[in-house]
Formats: sequence, C-alpha cells, structure tokens
Amino acid sequence: MTRKKTLGNAAFYLGNTLIALIFVSPLIWMIASSLKPEAQIFKGLNSLSTFIPTGASFRNYIEVFQRINMWKFIGNSLFYVLVIIVLDLLVNSICGYALAKFEFKGKSLLLTLVISLMVFPAEAIMLPMYREMADLGWINSWASLVVPFVAKCFSIYMFRQFFLGIPDELLEAASIDGCGPVRTFFKVVMPISGTVYATIFILDFVAHWNDFMWPLLVVTGEEKRTIQLAIQTFFGSKPINYGPIMASLTISAIPMLIMFIFLQKYYVEGIASTGIKG
Amino acid sequence: MQPQQPWTKTITSIMRRIEKGGLAMKKSINKVSERRAAYTFICPAVVLLAAFLIYPSLQTIRYAFTDYNIMRPDRIVFCGFNNFIELFQDEDFWIAVKNTLYFTVLVVPFQTVLALALALLISSRRKGVSIFRAAYFSPQVTSMVVVAILWTVLYNSSPDSGLLNALLVKLGMEPCGFLNDPKAAMNSIIFMSAWQGAGYQMMIFLAGLQGISREQYEAASIDGAGKIQSFFYVTLPGLKSVIQYVVMITVIQAMKLFTQPYVMTKGGPQNSTRTLVYYIYEQGFQKRNFGYACAVAAVFFVIVISLSLGMKKIIKAE
Amino acid sequence: MRKRWIAVLLAAAMASSVLAGCGKTKERVNEKGESVITIWSPSDEPAIEEWWIEKIDEFNQDHEGKIELRREAIVRADSYAYEDKVNAAITSNDLPDILYVDGPNVSIYAANEVTLPLDDFFSEEEWSDFFDSSKQQNTYGGKIYAVGATESSVALYYNKDMLDEAGISVPEKKEDAWTWSEYYEAAKKLTKDGVVGTNIIMDKGEGLSYVLEQFWISNGTDFVNEDGSSAEGYLNSPEGVEAAEFLNSLIQDGYANIDPIQKEFHNGRAATMLGGSWEVATLEKDYPDLNWGVTYFPVADGDGIPTSPTGDWAASVTKNVQDMDAVKEVMRFLFSEDNVTTYAKAISKPPTRVSSYDVLTEYNEYPRSIFKEQLMETGHPRPRTPSYSVLTAEYAEAMLNIFTGVDPQEALDAAAAAMDKDYNKYYAQD
Repeated sequence: MTRKKTLGNAAFYLGNTLIALIFVSPLIWMIASSLKPEAQIFKGLNSLSTFIPTGASFRNYIEVFQRINMWKFIGNSLFYVLVIIVLDLLVNSICGYALAKFEFKGKSLLLTLVISLMVFPAEAIMLPMYREMADLGWINSWASLVVPFVAKCFSIYMFRQFFLGIPDELLEAASIDGCGPVRTFFKVVMPISGTVYATIFILDFVAHWNDFMWPLLVVTGEEKRTIQLAIQTFFGSKPINYGPIMASLTISAIPMLIMFIFLQKYYVEGIASTGIKG
Repeated sequence: MQPQQPWTKTITSIMRRIEKGGLAMKKSINKVSERRAAYTFICPAVVLLAAFLIYPSLQTIRYAFTDYNIMRPDRIVFCGFNNFIELFQDEDFWIAVKNTLYFTVLVVPFQTVLALALALLISSRRKGVSIFRAAYFSPQVTSMVVVAILWTVLYNSSPDSGLLNALLVKLGMEPCGFLNDPKAAMNSIIFMSAWQGAGYQMMIFLAGLQGISREQYEAASIDGAGKIQSFFYVTLPGLKSVIQYVVMITVIQAMKLFTQPYVMTKGGPQNSTRTLVYYIYEQGFQKRNFGYACAVAAVFFVIVISLSLGMKKIIKAE
Repeated sequence: MRKRWIAVLLAAAMASSVLAGCGKTKERVNEKGESVITIWSPSDEPAIEEWWIEKIDEFNQDHEGKIELRREAIVRADSYAYEDKVNAAITSNDLPDILYVDGPNVSIYAANEVTLPLDDFFSEEEWSDFFDSSKQQNTYGGKIYAVGATESSVALYYNKDMLDEAGISVPEKKEDAWTWSEYYEAAKKLTKDGVVGTNIIMDKGEGLSYVLEQFWISNGTDFVNEDGSSAEGYLNSPEGVEAAEFLNSLIQDGYANIDPIQKEFHNGRAATMLGGSWEVATLEKDYPDLNWGVTYFPVADGDGIPTSPTGDWAASVTKNVQDMDAVKEVMRFLFSEDNVTTYAKAISKPPTRVSSYDVLTEYNEYPRSIFKEQLMETGHPRPRTPSYSVLTAEYAEAMLNIFTGVDPQEALDAAAAAMDKDYNKYYAQD
C-alpha cells in the first residue's frame, strides 16, 4: 500500500514538474536573457543552454532605469489600472446584481445586449473611440485611459452568474430586517462575495496591464506614459537591444505574478461559484 | 478541498433568528422600490456601455457605408453598399473567414482538452500543487511580446537556430518550416495559442472539479469502477455545465484572434494566418481603407454574434 | 436615501475624472502671448533626449517673448505604432505644428495634404548643402515637404576570418563592388559548417523594401514610375522578376536563411550580411572579438547601376499650423549647420549636410567612409508615392511568398496590382 503511494507520488511530482517546466520556459528564458550580456542572448538557441544565464549580471536592469524613467511609468500603469478596477468592480457588480436579483422592464433585453456586446473586438472600434475621446477633449488625460473601460460586459455577466447563486431567502431575511434593496446589496451581499470580486480583479489587472494599442493612441509624451509603451520604445532604436527589453519585461511581469500568487486562492473559489449553473 | 460556501453560516443564523421570533415569512418585496433600485443599479453601467461601446460601434457601422480614407477625414463620401459588394467578392476576405473558422474549430477542442488534462493532473491535495498551478497559469501572465519572441525563436526553420527543429532532426525527422510553411503556420499558431490559453481554462476546470463531491467517487469505486470509468461516469457529467461555459467563451476569444498574427506572421505565409480581426486592422490602419475595414468589421460582428447567440440557445435547450 | 448617496458618489467620481482629465487640445498661444510651436518626434535614447532638452531651452531663451517651443515624444515600436498614432491625430485635426515622419512616408502625407511644402524655408544655396538623396526622399510633386538631419545607408558586412579562410578577396574601391554573380559565388563558398554565406533579411517588414529595392534599381528598373502613380510594369517588370529570382536563389540554394536569428552575423552564423550603417557602433561595442569588415553594396551583372539604400526620419510641417513664420524660425534653427552636426553626432548617424562632414571627421575613415561614399554617390531613396504603405506591405508579403515557393512573376504581379488599385482609388482624380 505504501509503495503504491510512493510510486504515485513520484509519478505525480515528476510528471507535473516536467510539464510545468515546459509551461514556464518562456518566463525562465526571459529572466535568464535579462541577466545575460547583449551578445549572449541569441547565442545557442538550438540547445537548452540558452536557458542558462552565462555571464549573469544586473547591467541590463541598471541600463533600463538609467535610460527611462521606469518608476514613473510603473506608477502610471499601476494608477490607471487600479482606478479602472475599482470603478469596474463597483459599476459592474451592481449591474450584474440587478440582472440577477431584480425584476424590471427591459431586463432580458439588457442581458442579451450584454452577452452580444462581449464579442466586439477592440481593434475594430478603436478609431471611432479615439475620435470620441478627441471630441470630448480627453486626449492625453487619465479619463481617456480609464472611463471607456469601466463598464465591461464580461464582468457584468460574471457577477450575474455569481449572484444568481445567492439564495433568495437571505435577501428576503435582510429586507424583513428593514433593509431596502440598496442596503441589502452593500451590507449583506457584498461582504460575502469577496471571491468573485477578487476574480474580476485579477482578470482585469492582467488585461489592462498588458494593453498597448489604446494607450499608444491616446497618450503623448512621457507624463502619462504606461509601462508597456515604455517597453516598446526599446524596439524603436536601431539596432534593437534585447537586454534592456528582457529586463523591462521581467520588471513588468513582477506585479502581475505577485498579485496572482497572492489572490490565487480567491480566484479558484470565485470561478467555482459563477459560470457553472449556466 | 471543498470551498466552504461562505454564506451557509449567515443563512443558518438568520433562519434561527426568524424561528425564534416566530415571524411569518412575508413577501415583503416592495415592487416599486425594487424597480427603482434596479434602474439605479444598472444606470452607470448602461450609460457607460452606451457611450463607449455602443456609440463607437454604431459609428463603425456608419463608416462602413463610406469610402473613408484615414488621411482625409474631411472627404468622407457616402458610397452605399459598395464596400459590402467589394467585400463579398474579395478573395482575401473569404480566406480570412476560412482561417479564422479553421483556427477556432481546432483550437477550442485542443485547448479545452489540454486544460482539462492539466486540471486533472493537479487536482490533488498533495503539497506544492499551488506551485504547479502558478506554473501552468504563467503563460497568461507573461507579456505577449516575450511569448511571441520566444516562440518565433523556437519555431525557427533551421535546425541550427531553432530548438524544436534541432529536436526533430535529432530524432531523425525532417526539419519543419513552422512559421514559413503555409501548411504549417496556422497549426503552429494553434499549438502556441492553446499552450498560452490553457492555464486560464484550467483554473475554471479546477474549480469545477472541486464541486464534485468525494462521495460520488467513493460510491463509484465501491461499485467496482476503475479510474477511467469513474472519469467518464462521475467527472465528465459533473463538469458538463463548466465545459459548456468554457467552450462558449473560448469560441468568442478564438474568433477574435489578432495578436499572434500581428506580432509573429503578419498574416503570412501566403495568407495562411490572416484572421478577420487582423484583416480589419490591416485594411483600416495600414492601408488606410477605413471605410472598407468598417464594412468587414460589421460583417464580423454579425458572424460572431450569430455564433454566440446560437450557442447560448443550444446551451439553454439542453 | 442610501441609493441616492451612491448615485451622487458615482456621478461625482465620473465628473471629477472628466474634469481632471480635460485634456487640452493643442495650445497655439500661451499666457505670455508667445506663439507655441509643438513638435512630435519619436522617443529615443538618452543622448538624443538630452539634445532635445538642451536645444529647446536654447531656442526658447533666444526667442523669449515671441515663441515657445515644445516637444512631445511619441513611442515608436518597430511596427508602425508611430504611424497609427499620427493617423488617429489626423482624424481629429489634432496634429502638432512640426511632425517627424519616416522618410518614405513623407510623400503619403504630402499627397494627402496633411503636410505643407517648405521650399522657401531655406535659400537655394542653403539647400545645396543637403544631400541629394535626402532632398529626393522628401520631395513630392516637385516640392519639398520635409527636412532631415540624418541619413542611413546599407552595405555588405563580412567576416574577415571566414573570407580569408575561403580565399575570397573583398573589393577595395567602389568600382570593384561585387556583381550579383560574384556575391552568389562568395555566399556559396562560405556556406558550410552550420554557417550560411549571407544574410539578406534585415527584418520581415520595412527592412525588405528598404534593402532589396536597390536590386531592382541596379537592374535598371524600380518599384514604381516617376510620379509614383503606378507599379505595374516596374515592380513586376522582367528586370524586377530577375532581381527577385536572384534573391530567391540565395534562399532556395541554402546560402541565406529565410529565418535568420537576431544578430546572425554578429554571432558568426552568417559570413556576410547586408547591414545598416548603425551596425558599426554595435559591432564595435558589443562584439569586440569578431573580426569584421565592410564593403560596397552589390551591383547587378552587366550594366548594373551602382546603388545603395538611403532614408531616415525628417521633419515636416502639418496643415494644423497657425504661425508659419514661427515654424520657419524653428526649422531653420533645428536644421542649421551646427545643429544638424550635433544631432547627427548624438544619434550616431551620418548627417545630411555636406558641411557637417568637416566636423565629424570619423566619416573620413574606414569603416564609416564607405557609408559616406555611398550616400554621396550611389544613394537612392525609396519610392515617393502616396500609396507607399500599401506598396511596402505588399512587397514584403510578395517576397516572403516567393521565398516560400510562390512563382515570382505571380507574386509581383499581385503586389503591383494592389498598389495600383490603392492609388487609383484615392489619388487618381487629383
């Protein structure tokens, strides 16, 4: 019995480690390259030695911080992404809740609309959106980076699924206690929904942190430049220096990794309670 | 580990209070106040969606009927259905449709099965599971730039420069032009996309697996079911609604494929990786045929919306 | 009561973000009554950014009370990001006064009346100090639409050790530049032991048009006709097909990689490469162990015309300008003899003014002298046509298709047709 268990354990860890290594390889390559001197990065690409940082040093990182105002750009990205998320969580959760728990005219129309709008590709409506920003005078302002992205169909739908799973008895009990519908949401429902809020937090963070096209269009100069834009500037020089690129990409991956590891627990539980009941 | 339903405790305590008080459960829902609350609750989201999603989309559709050249915003001329007529005769458009559908039809099952396999692999209580979870999710977190550079390098067609081809040659096979062979390019992108996307779906499956209680597995094994049988008779049925949800979302995302062709292949070689959204971008921004691009976008909307509403009907019907 | 409170909060949040974010459209006169001139140029290395700050301060001090010069740095990745941004600004009439554009795009903006001619910014004599190649690049329909401070060139880099070992000698004088046959033979001899003879793919985008157009020119044709209205009969002419077939033979016969890894030549995996003038600095700095040299761009067999690529960013004036006199002041300042020289030095690129070479003497010595010679004597800019973005994208696609097996005539025919279609759709009636 114990031998079977040990064999099973060994198989588990071995199998998963091998596969995990494959999945993590780009991350490892990126980090290894960021530590290598420029000339080493594209050497030996046909063997596994490319994953080993020969001649490792932090010079690429130093160069990144010297060449561009990295802290500011990280700050800019953090700022606008977090603002989007905070507003997003608020606005979309109350909408999802209404779709889940209230009866009102136009409810099924709204639901169909939300599901249909999920398919719009940003690339197709980017230019009209840009014109709208220009007409509003929002070019180069935080508003253009934030406001268009606060309402999200995907978030609304997810919130709705989750809130569907909250038993009606709970809400009735609260209203017996004298809570109006609004109070019920904020005092009763929200506190027990930490899981789905964390889920949306992670998804939106990853999506916006990596966004490049939109900030490119609406931001000029360095004041509000985001970290992805900053990284792209390295691709503009002739010749392209990949050392600083890898270093800056590694730096930009850190907040996401930290956040993911920290919120992983909530993430799994959150998804568990949403889309399952269709 | 079963996620403890967070509100069971709250319900129980409230229920107990009610019993104690002997109150009758009145239907105390004030319909009017509920409706007012509902409209307040949906108001911000609806306003924002209308202003920043619906309005630009309507603009796009409007431009689809013009010959808008980006460089000349002052010279927008209405040209009726010209763009659409041209579109239906455009070989490149139909190739893009074909490529996008091909990609979707292949990547969705492949990625879903991969994600399920990964989830099964780590749905265990052993220590260190969270590390593997993070590892499988890491491609999602890694920037597309890195993923594209690395895979372009991996897929290099020369065994002297590409890891995969070096491996193939070592195993005695012919090197493959992964991104250069028109027959292989889209498959290479499919493989890479599945690898990148699987982590996200895996998380959903993991959660779904946790929702299936241990007792069901125990009951099955008492009945004499082996590992494989319990998979088909316990796991799969238990995951049915999860699978439906995952498939729908993945189909939508697959139809929108843009980044990989944009960064790695620019639609080539020989048109084999040109997808609809990439075609829209190319026509609109690079070739400045903005009116035409909007027409393609309008047709794209119709295709994908029909697809997703159709799928939703199928899910509802089951 | 609660819900009203929430609604107010939300409204306030959104209102404040609107107000806080009320971006300004381009200010043209500031509080001091000075004319504000805005420049858009790509974000660049620290040395350049410092040059800008220094020069802008200098100008503003000299012109206190009259003109205020500002610059906004735009992100330029390597695939059209900068142009996307400019496109967006065009749609909202939000362009700066002075816009830097990449060489071949000058004609696109000119033909679409997005930029204005600036012939009268400099006198005849002053214009003659600028390289012909640069002026040519910036001319459309007989008028000049942009001024550039730097140029670029491409030449044949070679690995001295490998060539010595194979017993191949390298041309010392421009007249002895390799012909295509000689180039082919050399590449053949040098391809062995996991090393390819040459690298002709600088990148799979603009790099293809930039470098390979010269093969068309050398063979007696070009991509388009004189006024840039048609590619049919040029891009896909017999001479053009010949050029394409020659390039394809290098790939098909295995003497050049279709998928060169980055820094293939630098890492000793290619014996020669068609590389840009900027590679000199990289090789000197990061690859001290490589024994390399540079020689002239290859010429077609027979009556081949000696030619080499040129082209770099230049400053143009947009239609949204209001104070043309102020802009003229600024441009004359930015592109004065001194400033062209200091800018070129900061960015390590060859200057466009002949007079600058008296100061930057490093261009009189090998290896930089090769580039200077090419610029002055054989440089040919890319086509000046409003359909350039279509042309270059189609050309890149055509070449990649040819390299993966499509018939050259077919591929080039398709590319030429696409460009002509674009021109006829938007520009033919003008």
